[in-house]
Amino acid sequence: MISPELKKVILKQLNLDDFNLNDATLASDVPGWDSLNHINVILAVEENFNVKFRSMELLRLKNIGDLQKLLDSKLSK
Amino acid sequence: MKTFNFNIDEADTLWRRWKLNSERYPDKDAIVHWVAGEEPYRWTYKNLINTAKKYSVKLKELGIKPGEICANIIRHNENFYPLYLGISRIGALPAVLAFPNPRLHPDKFRQGLEGMAQRSGLDYIFTERELEPLIKPLIEKPGSTIKNVYFPLEWDLDFEIDPKADDEIEMIAGSIKDSDPGLLQHSSGTTGLQKPVVLSHRAIMNHVYQLGKAMKLTENDKVASWLPLYHDLGLIGSYHIPLALGIPLIQIDPFQWILAPVLLLEAITKEKATVSFTPNFAYNIMAEKINEEDLEGIDLSSLRVIINAAEPIRHDSHEKFVRKFQKYGFNPLALAVLYGMAETTLGVTLTEPSNPITELSVDRNELSKGVMKFSDDNSVVRICVSSGKLIDECEARIVDENRNDIPDGLVGEVVVKSISMFDGYRNYPEKTAEVFEGGWYYTGDYGFRYKDEFFIIGRKKDIIIVAGKNIYPEDIEDALNQTEGLIPGRVIAFGEEDAEMGTEFVSVVAETKAETEDEKNKVRMTILKAGMNIDVVIHKVYLVPSRWLIKSSAGKPSRKSNKERLIGITDSQVWSR
Repeated sequence: MISPELKKVILKQLNLDDFNLNDATLASDVPGWDSLNHINVILAVEENFNVKFRSMELLRLKNIGDLQKLLDSKLSK
Repeated sequence: MKTFNFNIDEADTLWRRWKLNSERYPDKDAIVHWVAGEEPYRWTYKNLINTAKKYSVKLKELGIKPGEICANIIRHNENFYPLYLGISRIGALPAVLAFPNPRLHPDKFRQGLEGMAQRSGLDYIFTERELEPLIKPLIEKPGSTIKNVYFPLEWDLDFEIDPKADDEIEMIAGSIKDSDPGLLQHSSGTTGLQKPVVLSHRAIMNHVYQLGKAMKLTENDKVASWLPLYHDLGLIGSYHIPLALGIPLIQIDPFQWILAPVLLLEAITKEKATVSFTPNFAYNIMAEKINEEDLEGIDLSSLRVIINAAEPIRHDSHEKFVRKFQKYGFNPLALAVLYGMAETTLGVTLTEPSNPITELSVDRNELSKGVMKFSDDNSVVRICVSSGKLIDECEARIVDENRNDIPDGLVGEVVVKSISMFDGYRNYPEKTAEVFEGGWYYTGDYGFRYKDEFFIIGRKKDIIIVAGKNIYPEDIEDALNQTEGLIPGRVIAFGEEDAEMGTEFVSVVAETKAETEDEKNKVRMTILKAGMNIDVVIHKVYLVPSRWLIKSSAGKPSRKSNKERLIGITDSQVWSR
């Protein structure tokens, strides 16, 4: 389940009003979320939630559900 | 101190050169295949050549003949390299094509590949099983040039080479002349408009010699690269040059690098790499988008030269990179700039390694009128970054619209000639005739010369360059013209400066009958999705009412005029987001 706050950050960064984001959604399914913009999405998430991701953690992400889990693990620490 | 040492006559074709290197440096690293979080796979020159021989036996058994084109659509895999070398050994021509991004619509990928196959005359496709359902139907289509599709990563290479078969293939390799075609690369483009450039062994070897000499490469150098090999900067600069010179290449997965740009810096640090090539946007990304925590232990002091090429060079990008990485041992004099294109194998001009790059502060308004005038207190300033001086055996002129030479300091089209010039686009004589005259290649780039240095400042052609990748606006417009809510033929795509990322982004302006905010947002979303289907991210959408777009004399909406109109003024009729 993607939290409303994470969804809000992603959509704001991609300049989208609404888009159905669920655990299985891939970045490539979302307009504007290409490999070049990916880094900006990640930085926006880091800034908004005041967390830092390591490169290896980011390389393991397969879908938005994985990003949510990674974020949750950082926030629970 | 070691000096540049490369004698073309010792081995004048690709295979003969690689074989010579395997005899000369059997245990030296040829390719360090880099995968994040894993121990890299290390190909020594000897092992690489021995495995390439096995591939060549398999390829010969399949009936592949000299001169046939083998297109490789394979992701980052250690067996790609010996396969590539094996294709060359049997006299066939390797070509590297991009593996499709998941967002690219399967039909668009198929159409693009079909167009490319017909234009370039692709004979065989080597790919991964995943693409079989997409590619197989192409073979069965009437008129298809593609004879078969193979999955070489699945081949069993655990066999001893039959000496007789090996001798036969070595005979073929020995019969290849340096004037024979050595490889096929595509000049640029997205789906259907790529221009196939065939390069001879001689052109490639001459380029290795001239560019290697200009870069002052020695046998102690090591190249680190994240560049995809379907791109000329990656294929020639990062791949062919080190392999021909007998120096190591550390090859990073391009898909991993873009997600974790620190990988290039890690590879440079761990392998003590001395040379790298990368387009301008990467300087911004590495300077501004990597967390400090990830940079722990990074040491760039080994880096002797990092070459910026493949898209317009921005002064700010270099400045940001130096500011960020000097404390990690980066020497600002390692910055260098190369200007070139696939049609000349790669480079035409290069700035002097280990010397500061010339930058001119000029008056932007005068420059837009075609005159380079140094800025003064009243000027809107533009910093023009030099692309350097001519590499030996290359020539360049600046010409006006009538193709007459113009003096230094005036802006015109850059035309070039090189010892490594291509022989024309394959199966595309009309396009060749358009750009080739009297042995000169008309680049479509605008620039000026000042004190023997060349400054590239713009483009005559409407091509958009995003992160070093060339995108034809026609491809985007074609995709959008079939889109609901837009007026057919009344759509334009163009590039806008993306200062943050150090590159360009894609913008679209379209005439629409949509009136309300809600309707316009729906049209915008349709445009974004249509872009996704051809794997192009449209960053900004402008919507305008019917008959707003300015037409050119040919009756089509003019990209240049409409871009200027949109960016220069505020117009209440224009909706943008």
